[in-house]
Amino acid sequence: MADAGLPLPLIVPLGDAGLLVRFATTLSDAANRRAIAFARLLRRDLPFGVSEIDPNLVSVLLKYDPQMIDFDRLAGEVRLLLGSGTAADEADEATEYAIAVEFGGAVGPDLAEAAAATGLDVDSFVKAHNAGPLRVLTTGFAPGFVYCGFHPEALQVPRRTEVRRSVPAGSVLFAAGQTAITSTTIPTGWHVIGRTAFRNFDADAAPPTQLREGDAVRFEVVR
Amino acid sequence: MSVRLRIIRAAPSSTVQDAGRFGALQHGVGASGPMDREAFENAGALLQAASTAGIEFTRAGLDVVVEGDGTTRAAFAGGDFLLRINGRPTPWGAAASLQRDDRLEVTPGPAGNYGYVRFDHEIDVPMVMGSRATSLVAGLGGLKGRALAAGDILPLKAAGAGTGPAHTGPSPSASDAPIRFVWGIHAELFTPGLRQAFAEKQFRVSDRLDRMGVRLVDESLVFAGRPILSLVSDAIVAGDIQILGDGTPIVLMRDHQPTGGYPRIATVISADLDRFAQMRPGARLAFEPVTLHKARFLYLASRAR
Repeated sequence: MADAGLPLPLIVPLGDAGLLVRFATTLSDAANRRAIAFARLLRRDLPFGVSEIDPNLVSVLLKYDPQMIDFDRLAGEVRLLLGSGTAADEADEATEYAIAVEFGGAVGPDLAEAAAATGLDVDSFVKAHNAGPLRVLTTGFAPGFVYCGFHPEALQVPRRTEVRRSVPAGSVLFAAGQTAITSTTIPTGWHVIGRTAFRNFDADAAPPTQLREGDAVRFEVVR
Repeated sequence: MSVRLRIIRAAPSSTVQDAGRFGALQHGVGASGPMDREAFENAGALLQAASTAGIEFTRAGLDVVVEGDGTTRAAFAGGDFLLRINGRPTPWGAAASLQRDDRLEVTPGPAGNYGYVRFDHEIDVPMVMGSRATSLVAGLGGLKGRALAAGDILPLKAAGAGTGPAHTGPSPSASDAPIRFVWGIHAELFTPGLRQAFAEKQFRVSDRLDRMGVRLVDESLVFAGRPILSLVSDAIVAGDIQILGDGTPIVLMRDHQPTGGYPRIATVISADLDRFAQMRPGARLAFEPVTLHKARFLYLASRAR
């Protein structure tokens, strides 16, 4: 899993029953890809004593049972796996999804503001937003909530200064070079630019989420 | 027909819980489960074969009437509440057989935030992603993903494979001993002086506490006026102590969000999180750093009790 662009990952405790493999401390495409690949590797070959693997934006959490293994021993196992060079081929497992979005209007109240922040008019912004497929970076924060990235530099916009107390499921959010899709009602400080009928989370389905980290997402204007 | 429970009154944020919904972080869903795990297990240990789910109630307690046919045994543990069965004062931490028209009344007692009642019948709410635990933050599991309220009916059914008697040792009594922690994933972002102050000063439990987290009052202003750090969002575990932009420390609890972007200075050790969960608003506490080895030793000791 050598990656010339990144330093060696840090292996740190997260509480007394968690081990976090951090590929970076800031968000980057390379670190995210490594986290996804390493999580896949771990899932194929779950280390002894580990109950759960959770990939995040630039890290992977391993939850373990301290009755079965201690941190140092698990860290040793993880170090061996990191050095084993058997990275999963992410292209093999990536699925592409088309997500139809109604942009702006009542369901995308921050579209104009987000477009203005990039110096584009609304139509050009939507076009630029939908131009390339994004990758699902991770699922987190709330049920089925996915972070998709990365947009080009020209579309980097910070979060809003105010937090909306509640946005509905299917909200399409934009900030920090990413687009996120909500699957439940949540508060957010991101720009709400539209809404989709796509629901990534269904507690009764198996698995409960459709999108997996590493999948490709193409946003399009709803017909 | 079988036994069912009619909720006459339930304290705010009382929920159905089982051990927790594990393995769902990858879907953005945390484990939830009992705020005081050991008390939950102790309630189960009072029964021959406890079912997997029970009711967690908060300080104001619970009032339940039994309906339907048949009998069930109920057992109580957690904190120190006042219990009446059909009006008769009953010792807290007891077990009792119940049938139609029996009434359980739990009212506030001298200590604790969370109490538990478990049964030798399963609480018949749907399994959601492998668990009956309620996640109030995600709005799923338990009874329609929400807290219990007056008028709710909880049907009971014959338990499947029960948990069986667990360890039956006494709960660690509430104490003023420091809450022990291991340093958190962002500890190095705090200055050595700040870390030292965190481990030396006293904090107070505020009245803003729930299943998601417990806000602390930072009376010594350890964290006041510190610049807001912007961090990449990362995994959270129960017990993480995060510092908000205004300097408020929050101990994240069982219904924490799976990820977050506030800096985390420390994580309360597993062996002390139950005791912390039972500390009431106004209680003073100090934090004490321990090594990961000691945290594991204390955890293993708590499981062996």
